[in-house]
Amino acid sequence: MYKLYKCGIGDSNTGVMKINLNSITSIPFDPDNTDYQNFKKEVLAGAELHDVDGNVMTQEQANQFIATLP
Amino acid sequence: MPITLNGDTGILTPMYNGSITSNAVTPSVNMKSRIINGAMVIDQRNAGASVTGNDNVFGVDRFKIQASQSSKLTVQQNAGSVTPPAGFKNYIGITSSSAYTVLSGDYFTLEQPIEGYNIADLDWGTANAKTVTLSFWVRSSLTGTFGGVLQNVNTYSYPFTYTISSANTWEQKSITVTGATTSTWGSTNAVGIRVHFGLGIGTTFAGTAGAWAAANLLGATGQTNIVSTNGATFYITGVQLEVGSTATSFDYRPFGTELALCQRYCINYKSSDAGNYMRYGSGYANSATNLEINVHFPVTMRTNPSLTVTSTASNYAIYVAGGVNACSTVPALDSASDNPSVCTVNANTAGSFSSSAGGSILSNNNTTSYMLFTAEL
Repeated sequence: MYKLYKCGIGDSNTGVMKINLNSITSIPFDPDNTDYQNFKKEVLAGAELHDVDGNVMTQEQANQFIATLP
Repeated sequence: MPITLNGDTGILTPMYNGSITSNAVTPSVNMKSRIINGAMVIDQRNAGASVTGNDNVFGVDRFKIQASQSSKLTVQQNAGSVTPPAGFKNYIGITSSSAYTVLSGDYFTLEQPIEGYNIADLDWGTANAKTVTLSFWVRSSLTGTFGGVLQNVNTYSYPFTYTISSANTWEQKSITVTGATTSTWGSTNAVGIRVHFGLGIGTTFAGTAGAWAAANLLGATGQTNIVSTNGATFYITGVQLEVGSTATSFDYRPFGTELALCQRYCINYKSSDAGNYMRYGSGYANSATNLEINVHFPVTMRTNPSLTVTSTASNYAIYVAGGVNACSTVPALDSASDNPSVCTVNANTAGSFSSSAGGSILSNNNTTSYMLFTAEL
């Protein structure tokens, strides 16, 4: 499951975390990062993405968000 | 008299230019072998513990499992505690967890993806492509024909086979591969060559050994499938990929060099190595409840890394002005400040301290916390 989060305090940048049972991975929006590549691929394939408030995004919302990324 | 030192024989030979040269007295620091951690010495993630061999799980640094099904394998540095081949102290051991019937679309491999920068000189994809030789020591509880593949990013592959003649006996193998004169091969920080050792290959991903094929192949037709025998073992070490048509002696690098090569892809700061209050880095308070630190890496990583931490926020703490405040959120990247040399990491606490105060993020009195930075291929 993926979740968006705000980076730091008063920062308008958004990051994404992959939440597993025993670990949490924060992933940079870097096209060369394989976790980032997998994040985009998995969300477009239907993996759950939560917004910064913890709400589950619809597939359409998730796709639109992915479309804004590098 | 000017001399030269011959490292093979120790004979001092007169020279006329006054220089002193040496050709063999120091360990290799070059990249004769394009494989990193081929002697399976570095295991930053698992520290020798056994892990389930699911997809993209690393058994030791730079060697990962590719698996289409979960929980069919375990992988561990020095699994089974057998004596490694002479000259080696470590190996990676894979053990089958069941007698799994491999389906046509299945694949199970042990893979090292090699960064393009480290194979660019091979000129693969051109008429000048260089021949390479893959060599390794292998031991299995099974005998027969085993397989593997050299490939680019899933479009062009060279399956190979080798025979294991005696069960539970180390055997050294070498495979010479004529360089690929066509297809696309990475030459920068993306994948250059993937080296796969097949552990279970369905017909979709198996191909004829000894020839290049324009396909995504992960093993050789008819190869032995480790995953199909419960408890079967596959141990390997001394993996080397070098230019030329002959396997030469294993390219031992200094430990620090090998570790640094691994750290381009993975850096694991663990409180189990450094104590209950390990400091991950220092920085300053953004507010009364948030602190950011900069973590400088010992080597430049392949790309902007991901950060993995335990899922328990209170495993971490913020230390400011003499007070330790348990984190209320897990430390996370400040993506806007991420780069391959230094990352900014933020954490929050329910405690309170002076904004702009200096402080650190540290392990909160435990040896289970860690910060794992990865930029794997």
